[in-house]
Amino acid sequence: MTLPALEDITAHGGADPIPGLMRVETSPKEKATPILLEMIHAVYPHDDVFGEFCTVNQFIDCPPDELYEYLADARSLEEWTYSTRGFTPTEEDGLWRAYDLLGDDTEIYTRTVVNRESRTVDYHCAWDQGRHLWMIYLMRVVDAQLVLNKPGSVVLWTNCRHPFYDDNPFPETAPPQRPAWVGDLWDMFGPGHLLELKNLKAIAEYRHHNGLPVTPDWMRAS
Amino acid sequence: MNPVGTQPTISLIDVATYLPENRVPAEWYTQYSGDDSLRDNPMFRPPDFRHHAAIDESNVDMIERAVAALTERHGSGVLGEVDILLTHSQLPDLPILGAGGEVAARLGINPEWIVDVHNGGCAAFVLMLKLARQLLTSGAGRTALIAVAQNSAGKIFEQEQVRKLAQASVPGDGAAVGLVTLSDASPVLDIECRYFGKHAADMTLAADPARRWWESGSGQGYVGFNEGKIIKVLARGNRQVPQAVRAVCDRIGVKTGDLDLLVTNQPNRLLLRNWDEALGLPPERHRDTFHECGNMFAVAIPVNFEAAVLDGQIGAGDIVMMAGFAHAGDFAGAAAIQWGGTRT
Repeated sequence: MTLPALEDITAHGGADPIPGLMRVETSPKEKATPILLEMIHAVYPHDDVFGEFCTVNQFIDCPPDELYEYLADARSLEEWTYSTRGFTPTEEDGLWRAYDLLGDDTEIYTRTVVNRESRTVDYHCAWDQGRHLWMIYLMRVVDAQLVLNKPGSVVLWTNCRHPFYDDNPFPETAPPQRPAWVGDLWDMFGPGHLLELKNLKAIAEYRHHNGLPVTPDWMRAS
Repeated sequence: MNPVGTQPTISLIDVATYLPENRVPAEWYTQYSGDDSLRDNPMFRPPDFRHHAAIDESNVDMIERAVAALTERHGSGVLGEVDILLTHSQLPDLPILGAGGEVAARLGINPEWIVDVHNGGCAAFVLMLKLARQLLTSGAGRTALIAVAQNSAGKIFEQEQVRKLAQASVPGDGAAVGLVTLSDASPVLDIECRYFGKHAADMTLAADPARRWWESGSGQGYVGFNEGKIIKVLARGNRQVPQAVRAVCDRIGVKTGDLDLLVTNQPNRLLLRNWDEALGLPPERHRDTFHECGNMFAVAIPVNFEAAVLDGQIGAGDIVMMAGFAHAGDFAGAAAIQWGGTRT
Protein backbone atom coordinates (compact mmCIF):
# COMPACT_ATOMS: atom_id res chain seq x y z
CA MET A 1 0.00 0.00 0.00
CA THR A 2 1.40 3.39 -0.91
CA LEU A 3 0.45 6.85 0.25
CA PRO A 4 -1.07 9.24 -2.28
CA ALA A 5 2.23 11.06 -2.67
CA LEU A 6 2.13 14.08 -5.04
CA GLU A 7 -1.44 13.19 -6.00
CA ASP A 8 -2.50 16.83 -5.81
CA ILE A 9 0.29 17.98 -8.12
CA THR A 10 -0.45 15.24 -10.66
CA ALA A 11 -4.13 16.15 -10.58
CA HIS A 12 -3.23 19.78 -11.04
CA GLY A 13 -0.50 19.59 -13.68
CA GLY A 14 -0.68 16.19 -15.41
CA ALA A 15 1.68 13.23 -15.39
CA ASP A 16 5.02 15.10 -15.27
CA PRO A 17 4.30 18.56 -13.96
CA ILE A 18 7.64 19.15 -12.18
CA PRO A 19 10.60 18.56 -14.47
CA GLY A 20 13.80 17.43 -12.80
CA LEU A 21 12.15 15.76 -9.83
CA MET A 22 14.34 12.83 -8.80
CA ARG A 23 12.33 10.07 -7.15
CA VAL A 24 12.98 6.36 -7.35
CA GLU A 25 9.72 5.69 -9.21
CA THR A 26 10.67 7.85 -12.21
CA SER A 27 14.47 7.95 -11.74
CA PRO A 28 15.58 4.42 -10.86
CA LYS A 29 19.03 3.91 -9.40
CA GLU A 30 20.63 3.34 -12.82
CA LYS A 31 19.44 6.81 -13.79
CA ALA A 32 20.14 8.56 -10.53
CA THR A 33 23.58 7.13 -9.74
CA PRO A 34 25.31 8.60 -12.82
CA ILE A 35 23.93 12.01 -11.94
CA LEU A 36 25.17 11.68 -8.39
CA LEU A 37 28.62 10.50 -9.44
CA GLU A 38 28.97 13.46 -11.79
CA MET A 39 28.25 15.65 -8.78
CA ILE A 40 31.12 14.17 -6.78
CA HIS A 41 34.25 16.28 -7.19
CA ALA A 42 37.63 16.05 -5.52
CA VAL A 43 37.47 19.72 -4.53
CA TYR A 44 34.71 22.32 -4.48
CA PRO A 45 35.06 26.03 -5.16
CA HIS A 46 34.74 28.18 -2.05
CA ASP A 47 31.72 29.92 -3.53
CA ASP A 48 29.87 26.63 -4.13
CA VAL A 49 30.37 25.74 -0.49
CA PHE A 50 29.95 29.12 1.22
CA GLY A 51 28.35 31.32 -1.42
CA GLU A 52 24.71 31.46 -0.40
CA PHE A 53 24.68 29.52 2.84
CA CYS A 54 27.51 29.36 5.30
CA THR A 55 27.48 26.24 7.43
CA VAL A 56 30.09 25.12 9.94
CA ASN A 57 29.84 22.22 12.39
CA GLN A 58 31.86 21.01 15.32
CA PHE A 59 31.98 18.32 17.98
CA ILE A 60 32.35 19.72 21.48
CA ASP A 61 33.12 17.49 24.44
CA CYS A 62 30.64 18.94 26.92
CA PRO A 63 27.05 17.97 27.84
CA PRO A 64 24.53 19.30 25.32
CA ASP A 65 22.11 20.80 27.83
CA GLU A 66 24.88 22.77 29.51
CA LEU A 67 26.19 23.99 26.17
CA TYR A 68 22.67 24.99 25.14
CA GLU A 69 22.21 26.98 28.37
CA TYR A 70 25.43 28.83 27.74
CA LEU A 71 24.68 29.66 24.11
CA ALA A 72 21.12 30.69 24.91
CA ASP A 73 22.53 33.65 26.84
CA ALA A 74 23.50 36.32 24.32
CA ARG A 75 26.35 37.40 26.58
CA SER A 76 28.20 34.14 25.79
CA LEU A 77 29.05 35.93 22.53
CA GLU A 78 31.28 38.20 24.62
CA GLU A 79 33.49 35.14 25.18
CA TRP A 80 33.49 32.93 22.12
CA THR A 81 33.04 35.30 19.20
CA TYR A 82 36.05 36.92 17.64
CA SER A 83 34.97 40.53 17.97
CA THR A 84 31.60 41.25 19.61
CA ARG A 85 32.24 42.91 22.98
CA GLY A 86 30.59 45.04 25.64
CA PHE A 87 27.11 43.52 25.80
CA THR A 88 24.69 45.69 27.68
CA PRO A 89 20.90 45.42 27.93
CA THR A 90 18.76 47.97 26.06
CA GLU A 91 15.43 49.38 27.05
CA GLU A 92 13.80 46.72 24.91
CA ASP A 93 13.39 43.41 26.72
CA GLY A 94 15.86 40.75 25.49
CA LEU A 95 17.65 43.08 23.10
CA TRP A 96 21.38 43.52 23.73
CA ARG A 97 23.68 46.22 22.46
CA ALA A 98 27.39 45.51 21.95
CA TYR A 99 30.27 46.61 19.75
CA ASP A 100 31.55 44.64 16.79
CA LEU A 101 35.24 45.44 16.79
CA LEU A 102 35.42 44.25 13.18
CA GLY A 103 33.86 47.55 12.21
CA ASP A 104 35.09 50.96 13.28
CA ASP A 105 32.88 52.27 16.08
CA THR A 106 30.20 49.79 15.13
CA GLU A 107 27.28 48.81 17.33
CA ILE A 108 25.74 45.37 17.02
CA TYR A 109 22.29 44.52 18.36
CA THR A 110 21.40 40.96 19.33
CA ARG A 111 18.35 39.04 20.47
CA THR A 112 18.26 35.28 21.05
CA VAL A 113 15.32 33.17 19.91
CA VAL A 114 15.62 29.77 21.52
CA ASN A 115 13.91 26.43 21.91
CA ARG A 116 15.04 24.32 24.81
CA GLU A 117 13.49 21.07 23.61
CA SER A 118 15.30 21.04 20.26
CA ARG A 119 18.23 23.04 21.68
CA THR A 120 18.09 25.66 18.97
CA VAL A 121 19.65 29.06 19.59
CA ASP A 122 19.10 31.65 16.88
CA TYR A 123 20.98 34.89 17.23
CA HIS A 124 19.04 37.66 15.50
CA CYS A 125 21.49 40.48 14.99
CA ALA A 126 22.18 43.64 13.02
CA TRP A 127 24.92 46.18 12.77
CA ASP A 128 24.14 49.80 13.69
CA GLN A 129 20.44 49.50 14.56
CA GLY A 130 18.16 47.27 16.62
CA ARG A 131 14.85 47.75 14.80
CA HIS A 132 15.35 45.18 12.05
CA LEU A 133 17.49 42.24 13.11
CA TRP A 134 18.34 40.58 9.79
CA MET A 135 21.75 38.93 10.44
CA ILE A 136 20.49 35.62 11.75
CA TYR A 137 22.82 32.90 12.99
CA LEU A 138 20.99 29.60 13.29
CA MET A 139 22.57 27.20 15.76
CA ARG A 140 21.53 23.85 17.09
CA VAL A 141 23.13 21.73 19.78
CA VAL A 142 22.64 18.02 19.20
CA ASP A 143 23.34 15.25 21.72
CA ALA A 144 26.45 13.56 20.33
CA GLN A 145 25.34 10.29 21.90
CA LEU A 146 22.59 10.14 19.31
CA VAL A 147 24.53 11.17 16.23
CA LEU A 148 28.11 10.09 16.98
CA ASN A 149 27.54 7.41 19.61
CA LYS A 150 29.69 9.22 22.15
CA PRO A 151 29.03 11.70 24.94
CA GLY A 152 29.20 15.39 24.12
CA SER A 153 27.61 17.89 21.78
CA VAL A 154 27.51 18.50 18.09
CA VAL A 155 26.95 22.13 17.15
CA LEU A 156 25.41 22.95 13.77
CA TRP A 157 25.62 26.56 12.65
CA THR A 158 24.22 28.07 9.47
CA ASN A 159 24.09 31.62 8.23
CA CYS A 160 22.10 32.61 5.13
CA ARG A 161 23.19 35.34 2.73
CA HIS A 162 20.48 37.89 3.41
CA PRO A 163 20.32 40.50 0.60
CA PHE A 164 21.22 43.21 3.12
CA TYR A 165 24.73 41.71 3.27
CA ASP A 166 25.22 42.98 -0.29
CA ASP A 167 23.50 46.32 0.21
CA ASN A 168 23.08 48.15 3.53
CA PRO A 169 19.48 49.34 3.63
CA PHE A 170 20.12 51.59 6.63
CA PRO A 171 23.12 53.67 5.54
CA GLU A 172 21.95 56.53 7.72
CA THR A 173 22.62 54.43 10.84
CA ALA A 174 26.24 53.72 9.92
CA PRO A 175 29.03 55.71 11.52
CA PRO A 176 30.35 58.26 9.04
CA GLN A 177 33.37 57.21 6.96
CA ARG A 178 33.24 53.58 8.10
CA PRO A 179 35.15 51.88 5.30
CA ALA A 180 33.66 48.37 5.41
CA TRP A 181 30.13 46.96 5.55
CA VAL A 182 29.55 43.65 7.28
CA GLY A 183 28.50 42.01 4.02
CA ASP A 184 31.85 42.89 2.43
CA LEU A 185 33.26 40.20 4.69
CA TRP A 186 30.83 37.47 3.60
CA ASP A 187 33.55 35.37 1.97
CA MET A 188 35.38 35.26 5.29
CA PHE A 189 32.36 33.96 7.15
CA GLY A 190 33.09 30.26 6.51
CA PRO A 191 36.59 30.34 8.00
CA GLY A 192 35.62 33.12 10.43
CA HIS A 193 32.72 31.21 11.91
CA LEU A 194 34.79 28.04 12.10
CA LEU A 195 37.40 29.98 14.04
CA GLU A 196 34.73 31.17 16.45
CA LEU A 197 33.24 27.69 16.74
CA LYS A 198 36.71 26.47 17.71
CA ASN A 199 36.81 29.21 20.34
CA LEU A 200 33.50 27.89 21.65
CA LYS A 201 34.87 24.36 21.69
CA ALA A 202 38.04 25.37 23.53
CA ILE A 203 36.16 27.39 26.17
CA ALA A 204 33.36 24.87 26.79
CA GLU A 205 35.73 21.89 26.88
CA TYR A 206 38.10 23.67 29.26
CA ARG A 207 35.27 24.39 31.69
CA HIS A 208 33.79 20.91 31.37
CA HIS A 209 37.14 19.13 31.74
CA ASN A 210 38.10 21.23 34.75
CA GLY A 211 34.84 20.97 36.66
CA LEU A 212 33.80 24.57 36.04
CA PRO A 213 30.21 25.34 35.09
CA VAL A 214 29.94 25.87 31.32
CA THR A 215 27.92 29.00 31.96
CA PRO A 216 30.21 31.10 34.20
CA ASP A 217 29.06 32.58 37.47
CA TRP A 218 29.05 36.16 36.21
CA MET A 219 26.51 35.22 33.57
CA ARG A 220 24.32 33.29 35.99
CA ALA A 221 24.40 36.02 38.62
CA SER A 222 22.38 38.53 36.65
CA MET B 1 70.33 19.64 -11.67
CA ASN B 2 70.73 17.37 -8.71
CA PRO B 3 67.55 17.65 -6.64
CA VAL B 4 68.36 15.04 -4.04
CA GLY B 5 71.59 16.38 -2.71
CA THR B 6 74.57 14.18 -3.35
CA GLN B 7 72.54 11.28 -4.72
CA PRO B 8 73.22 10.78 -8.43
CA THR B 9 70.43 11.77 -10.78
CA ILE B 10 68.54 9.43 -13.04
CA SER B 11 66.86 10.47 -16.26
CA LEU B 12 63.91 9.29 -18.26
CA ILE B 13 65.55 9.58 -21.66
CA ASP B 14 62.71 8.36 -23.86
CA VAL B 15 59.53 6.34 -23.99
CA ALA B 16 58.27 4.19 -26.83
CA THR B 17 54.81 2.76 -27.15
CA TYR B 18 52.81 0.19 -29.05
CA LEU B 19 49.07 0.15 -29.73
CA PRO B 20 47.52 -2.97 -31.31
CA GLU B 21 46.15 -2.46 -34.80
CA ASN B 22 42.63 -3.54 -33.93
CA ARG B 23 40.86 -0.23 -33.17
CA VAL B 24 37.47 -0.97 -31.68
CA PRO B 25 34.69 1.64 -31.72
CA ALA B 26 32.22 2.07 -28.88
CA GLU B 27 29.49 0.69 -31.13
CA TRP B 28 31.15 -2.70 -30.98
CA TYR B 29 29.79 -3.00 -27.44
CA THR B 30 26.32 -1.71 -28.07
CA GLN B 31 25.57 -4.76 -30.23
CA TYR B 32 26.15 -6.92 -27.17
CA SER B 33 24.94 -4.51 -24.55
CA GLY B 34 22.93 -6.29 -21.98
CA ASP B 35 21.02 -4.82 -19.10
CA ASP B 36 23.92 -4.19 -16.74
CA SER B 37 22.63 -1.69 -14.21
CA LEU B 38 26.05 0.03 -14.30
CA ARG B 39 25.72 0.79 -18.04
CA ASP B 40 25.10 4.50 -17.63
CA ASN B 41 27.51 4.86 -14.74
CA PRO B 42 30.05 7.59 -15.55
CA MET B 43 32.81 5.37 -14.17
CA PHE B 44 32.14 3.11 -17.17
CA ARG B 45 31.09 5.57 -19.87
CA PRO B 46 32.83 4.17 -22.95
CA PRO B 47 35.61 5.93 -24.84
CA ASP B 48 35.07 6.47 -28.57
CA PHE B 49 37.76 3.91 -29.39
CA ARG B 50 40.14 1.52 -27.73
CA HIS B 51 42.68 -0.92 -29.16
CA HIS B 52 42.41 -4.65 -28.61
CA ALA B 53 45.35 -7.01 -28.53
CA ALA B 54 44.85 -10.13 -30.58
CA ILE B 55 43.74 -13.16 -28.63
CA ASP B 56 47.16 -14.79 -28.97
CA GLU B 57 49.18 -11.58 -28.60
CA SER B 58 51.09 -11.81 -25.35
CA ASN B 59 52.48 -9.14 -23.03
CA VAL B 60 55.90 -10.14 -24.26
CA ASP B 61 54.84 -9.63 -27.89
CA MET B 62 53.53 -6.18 -27.09
CA ILE B 63 56.58 -5.12 -25.12
CA GLU B 64 58.80 -6.38 -27.93
CA ARG B 65 56.87 -4.20 -30.37
CA ALA B 66 57.23 -1.13 -28.13
CA VAL B 67 60.97 -1.82 -27.81
CA ALA B 68 61.24 -1.93 -31.62
CA ALA B 69 60.18 1.72 -31.71
CA LEU B 70 62.83 2.53 -29.12
CA THR B 71 65.67 0.80 -30.92
CA GLU B 72 64.60 2.48 -34.16
CA ARG B 73 65.51 5.79 -32.57
CA HIS B 74 68.42 4.83 -30.35
CA GLY B 75 69.90 1.95 -32.33
CA SER B 76 69.86 -1.68 -31.28
CA GLY B 77 73.07 -1.05 -29.36
CA VAL B 78 71.02 0.61 -26.63
CA LEU B 79 69.71 -2.79 -25.55
CA GLY B 80 73.22 -4.05 -24.92
CA GLU B 81 73.60 -1.33 -22.28
CA VAL B 82 70.55 -2.45 -20.25
CA ASP B 83 71.56 -3.56 -16.78
CA ILE B 84 68.07 -3.58 -15.30
CA LEU B 85 64.85 -4.82 -16.88
CA LEU B 86 61.59 -4.16 -15.05
CA THR B 87 58.28 -5.43 -16.44
CA HIS B 88 54.67 -5.07 -15.40
CA SER B 89 51.33 -6.36 -16.60
CA GLN B 90 48.12 -6.58 -14.65
CA LEU B 91 47.18 -9.69 -16.63
CA PRO B 92 50.34 -11.81 -16.88
CA ASP B 93 50.51 -14.23 -19.78
CA LEU B 94 50.75 -16.95 -17.17
CA PRO B 95 49.93 -16.30 -13.52
CA ILE B 96 52.97 -18.27 -12.48
CA LEU B 97 55.60 -16.02 -13.99
CA GLY B 98 56.01 -12.50 -15.24
CA ALA B 99 57.18 -11.31 -18.61
CA GLY B 100 60.75 -10.34 -17.68
CA GLY B 101 62.59 -13.53 -18.55
CA GLU B 102 60.95 -13.98 -21.92
CA VAL B 103 61.29 -10.29 -22.78
CA ALA B 104 65.04 -10.48 -22.10
CA ALA B 105 65.31 -13.57 -24.28
CA ARG B 106 63.39 -11.95 -27.14
CA LEU B 107 65.54 -8.83 -26.95
CA GLY B 108 68.68 -10.93 -26.79
CA ILE B 109 69.85 -9.33 -23.58
CA ASN B 110 70.92 -10.73 -20.26
CA PRO B 111 70.79 -7.92 -17.73
CA GLU B 112 72.04 -8.26 -14.18
CA TRP B 113 68.59 -7.39 -12.85
CA ILE B 114 65.23 -8.66 -14.13
CA VAL B 115 62.27 -7.84 -11.90
CA ASP B 116 58.59 -8.44 -12.67
CA VAL B 117 56.71 -5.77 -10.77
CA HIS B 118 53.27 -7.02 -9.92
CA ASN B 119 52.05 -4.17 -7.72
CA GLY B 120 51.66 -0.52 -8.62
CA GLY B 121 48.67 -1.27 -10.86
CA CYS B 122 47.70 1.71 -12.99
CA ALA B 123 50.51 3.74 -11.37
CA ALA B 124 53.13 1.01 -11.91
CA PHE B 125 55.18 3.25 -14.21
CA VAL B 126 55.81 5.59 -11.28
CA LEU B 127 56.68 2.73 -8.94
CA MET B 128 59.05 1.28 -11.56
CA LEU B 129 60.75 4.66 -11.98
CA LYS B 130 61.36 4.69 -8.26
CA LEU B 131 62.63 1.14 -8.30
CA ALA B 132 64.91 1.96 -11.23
CA ARG B 133 66.19 5.02 -9.38
CA GLN B 134 66.96 2.96 -6.30
CA LEU B 135 68.78 0.30 -8.30
CA LEU B 136 70.68 2.71 -10.53
CA THR B 137 71.77 5.01 -7.74
CA SER B 138 72.93 2.11 -5.59
CA GLY B 139 75.29 0.77 -8.21
CA ALA B 140 73.19 -1.82 -10.03
CA GLY B 141 74.14 -0.40 -13.39
CA ARG B 142 73.81 2.58 -15.70
CA THR B 143 70.70 1.82 -17.78
CA ALA B 144 67.25 0.47 -16.96
CA LEU B 145 64.49 -0.53 -19.33
CA ILE B 146 61.03 -0.36 -17.78
CA ALA B 147 58.24 -2.07 -19.66
CA VAL B 148 54.49 -2.05 -19.06
CA ALA B 149 51.85 -3.96 -20.99
CA GLN B 150 48.09 -4.23 -20.81
CA ASN B 151 46.21 -6.77 -22.87
CA SER B 152 43.07 -7.60 -20.96
CA ALA B 153 40.73 -5.64 -23.27
CA GLY B 154 41.14 -8.06 -26.15
CA LYS B 155 41.07 -11.06 -23.85
CA ILE B 156 39.03 -10.87 -20.63
CA PHE B 157 36.71 -8.12 -21.79
CA GLU B 158 36.00 -9.59 -25.21
CA GLN B 159 34.57 -12.77 -23.75
CA GLU B 160 31.00 -13.50 -24.70
CA GLN B 161 29.57 -13.00 -21.20
CA VAL B 162 31.88 -10.21 -20.11
CA ARG B 163 31.54 -7.95 -23.17
CA LYS B 164 27.91 -7.36 -22.22
CA LEU B 165 28.99 -5.65 -19.00
CA ALA B 166 29.38 -1.89 -18.74
CA GLN B 167 32.96 -2.31 -17.49
CA ALA B 168 33.99 -4.13 -20.70
CA SER B 169 33.79 -1.09 -22.97
CA VAL B 170 36.38 0.96 -21.05
CA PRO B 171 39.71 -0.95 -21.11
CA GLY B 172 42.10 -0.66 -24.02
CA ASP B 173 45.32 -2.48 -24.77
CA GLY B 174 48.84 -1.29 -25.40
CA ALA B 175 52.41 -1.41 -24.21
CA ALA B 176 55.13 1.08 -23.44
CA VAL B 177 58.78 1.09 -22.48
CA GLY B 178 60.85 3.74 -20.81
CA LEU B 179 64.61 4.16 -21.10
CA VAL B 180 66.10 5.27 -17.79
CA THR B 181 69.75 6.08 -17.31
CA LEU B 182 72.13 7.33 -14.68
CA SER B 183 72.49 10.88 -16.00
CA ASP B 184 71.09 14.35 -15.64
CA ALA B 185 69.99 14.74 -19.24
CA SER B 186 66.26 14.48 -18.48
CA PRO B 187 66.15 14.30 -14.72
CA VAL B 188 63.60 12.60 -12.53
CA LEU B 189 63.23 15.35 -9.93
CA ASP B 190 61.34 13.50 -7.26
CA ILE B 191 58.99 10.57 -6.70
CA GLU B 192 56.28 9.88 -4.15
CA CYS B 193 54.86 6.40 -3.65
CA ARG B 194 52.15 5.72 -1.11
CA TYR B 195 50.66 2.39 -0.14
CA PHE B 196 47.17 1.88 1.23
CA GLY B 197 47.26 -1.82 1.92
CA LYS B 198 43.89 -1.85 3.64
CA HIS B 199 42.23 -1.26 0.26
CA ALA B 200 44.02 -4.11 -1.50
CA ALA B 201 41.33 -6.68 -0.73
CA ASP B 202 38.71 -4.50 -2.42
CA MET B 203 40.13 -5.54 -5.78
CA THR B 204 38.15 -8.64 -6.66
CA LEU B 205 37.37 -10.86 -9.61
CA ALA B 206 33.90 -12.25 -10.01
CA ALA B 207 32.11 -14.87 -12.09
CA ASP B 208 28.55 -16.14 -12.35
CA PRO B 209 28.17 -18.68 -10.84
CA ALA B 210 30.80 -17.68 -8.31
CA ARG B 211 34.12 -19.54 -8.26
CA ARG B 212 37.75 -18.95 -7.39
CA TRP B 213 39.63 -17.47 -10.33
CA TRP B 214 41.73 -20.59 -10.79
CA GLU B 215 38.80 -22.98 -10.57
CA SER B 216 37.09 -24.04 -13.76
CA GLY B 217 33.45 -23.16 -14.26
CA SER B 218 30.93 -21.91 -16.75
CA GLY B 219 31.05 -18.28 -15.68
CA GLN B 220 33.63 -16.02 -17.30
CA GLY B 221 35.67 -13.88 -14.93
CA TYR B 222 35.26 -10.12 -14.71
CA VAL B 223 36.09 -7.33 -12.26
CA GLY B 224 33.90 -7.37 -9.16
CA PHE B 225 32.14 -4.00 -8.94
CA ASN B 226 29.08 -2.75 -7.18
CA GLU B 227 27.74 0.71 -6.57
CA GLY B 228 29.23 1.07 -3.11
CA LYS B 229 32.66 -0.01 -4.29
CA ILE B 230 32.54 2.36 -7.26
CA ILE B 231 31.89 5.33 -5.01
CA LYS B 232 34.63 4.30 -2.62
CA VAL B 233 37.16 3.86 -5.42
CA LEU B 234 36.15 7.19 -6.95
CA ALA B 235 36.60 8.93 -3.61
CA ARG B 236 40.00 7.30 -3.06
CA GLY B 237 41.18 8.29 -6.53
CA ASN B 238 39.89 11.82 -5.99
CA ARG B 239 41.98 12.07 -2.83
CA GLN B 240 45.10 10.00 -3.41
CA VAL B 241 46.31 11.28 -6.76
CA PRO B 242 46.17 15.02 -5.97
CA GLN B 243 47.82 14.32 -2.59
CA ALA B 244 50.71 12.43 -4.18
CA VAL B 245 51.13 15.15 -6.83
CA ARG B 246 51.08 17.88 -4.19
CA ALA B 247 53.67 16.09 -2.07
CA VAL B 248 56.07 16.03 -5.03
CA CYS B 249 55.24 19.61 -6.04
CA ASP B 250 55.95 20.84 -2.51
CA ARG B 251 59.36 19.19 -2.50
CA ILE B 252 60.44 20.42 -5.92
CA GLY B 253 59.02 23.89 -5.27
CA VAL B 254 56.53 23.99 -8.15
CA LYS B 255 52.88 24.98 -7.77
CA THR B 256 50.53 22.28 -9.07
CA GLY B 257 48.89 24.81 -11.35
CA ASP B 258 52.28 25.65 -12.86
CA LEU B 259 53.07 22.12 -14.04
CA ASP B 260 53.73 22.13 -17.77
CA LEU B 261 52.18 18.71 -18.19
CA LEU B 262 50.32 16.18 -16.11
CA VAL B 263 49.91 12.63 -17.34
CA THR B 264 47.93 10.12 -15.32
CA ASN B 265 46.24 6.81 -15.59
CA GLN B 266 42.84 7.28 -17.20
CA PRO B 267 40.15 5.11 -15.61
CA ASN B 268 37.34 7.42 -16.77
CA ARG B 269 36.60 11.03 -17.64
CA LEU B 270 35.24 11.78 -14.19
CA LEU B 271 38.53 11.21 -12.41
CA LEU B 272 40.42 13.15 -15.09
CA ARG B 273 38.09 16.10 -14.49
CA ASN B 274 38.32 15.86 -10.73
CA TRP B 275 42.12 15.76 -10.73
CA ASP B 276 42.33 18.87 -12.91
CA GLU B 277 40.03 20.69 -10.53
CA ALA B 278 41.85 19.51 -7.44
CA LEU B 279 45.23 20.57 -8.80
CA GLY B 280 44.03 23.82 -10.34
CA LEU B 281 45.38 22.71 -13.70
CA PRO B 282 43.74 23.65 -17.02
CA PRO B 283 42.50 20.44 -18.71
CA GLU B 284 44.67 21.04 -21.78
CA ARG B 285 47.80 20.63 -19.66
CA HIS B 286 46.49 17.29 -18.37
CA ARG B 287 47.08 15.24 -21.48
CA ASP B 288 44.99 12.11 -21.89
CA THR B 289 44.17 9.67 -24.67
CA PHE B 290 41.02 8.27 -23.10
CA HIS B 291 38.84 8.91 -26.17
CA GLU B 292 41.25 6.96 -28.40
CA CYS B 293 42.68 4.33 -26.07
CA GLY B 294 40.34 3.88 -23.12
CA ASN B 295 41.65 2.75 -19.76
CA MET B 296 45.09 1.36 -20.44
CA PHE B 297 45.91 0.74 -16.81
CA ALA B 298 49.68 1.16 -16.28
CA VAL B 299 50.30 1.93 -19.95
CA ALA B 300 48.36 5.20 -19.97
CA ILE B 301 51.05 7.31 -18.27
CA PRO B 302 53.80 6.66 -20.83
CA VAL B 303 51.35 6.70 -23.77
CA ASN B 304 49.97 10.07 -22.71
CA PHE B 305 53.48 11.38 -22.14
CA GLU B 306 54.54 10.30 -25.61
CA ALA B 307 51.47 11.97 -27.12
CA ALA B 308 52.58 15.27 -25.60
CA VAL B 309 56.16 14.79 -26.79
CA LEU B 310 55.09 13.85 -30.32
CA ASP B 311 53.03 16.91 -31.03
CA GLY B 312 55.38 19.29 -29.28
CA GLN B 313 53.11 20.07 -26.35
CA ILE B 314 56.19 19.86 -24.16
CA GLY B 315 59.76 20.77 -24.91
CA ALA B 316 63.13 20.65 -23.19
CA GLY B 317 63.05 22.04 -19.68
CA ASP B 318 59.33 21.52 -19.09
CA ILE B 319 58.19 20.01 -15.81
CA VAL B 320 56.13 16.88 -16.32
CA MET B 321 54.19 15.17 -13.55
CA MET B 322 53.33 11.49 -13.92
CA ALA B 323 50.74 10.27 -11.45
CA GLY B 324 48.12 7.65 -10.83
CA PHE B 325 46.52 5.24 -8.42
CA ALA B 326 46.11 1.49 -8.45
CA HIS B 327 43.38 -1.11 -8.23
CA ALA B 328 40.75 -0.15 -5.66
CA GLY B 329 43.05 2.48 -4.17
CA ASP B 330 45.83 0.39 -2.60
CA PHE B 331 48.65 2.47 -4.10
CA ALA B 332 49.22 5.94 -5.48
CA GLY B 333 52.30 7.54 -6.92
CA ALA B 334 53.60 10.68 -8.57
CA ALA B 335 56.91 11.41 -10.27
CA ALA B 336 58.18 14.74 -11.55
CA ILE B 337 60.53 14.91 -14.50
CA GLN B 338 62.21 17.87 -16.08
CA TRP B 339 61.94 16.69 -19.65
CA GLY B 340 65.27 17.00 -21.40
CA GLY B 341 63.98 16.80 -24.95
CA THR B 342 66.16 13.71 -25.17
CA ARG B 343 64.02 11.91 -27.71
CA THR B 344 66.22 11.66 -30.78
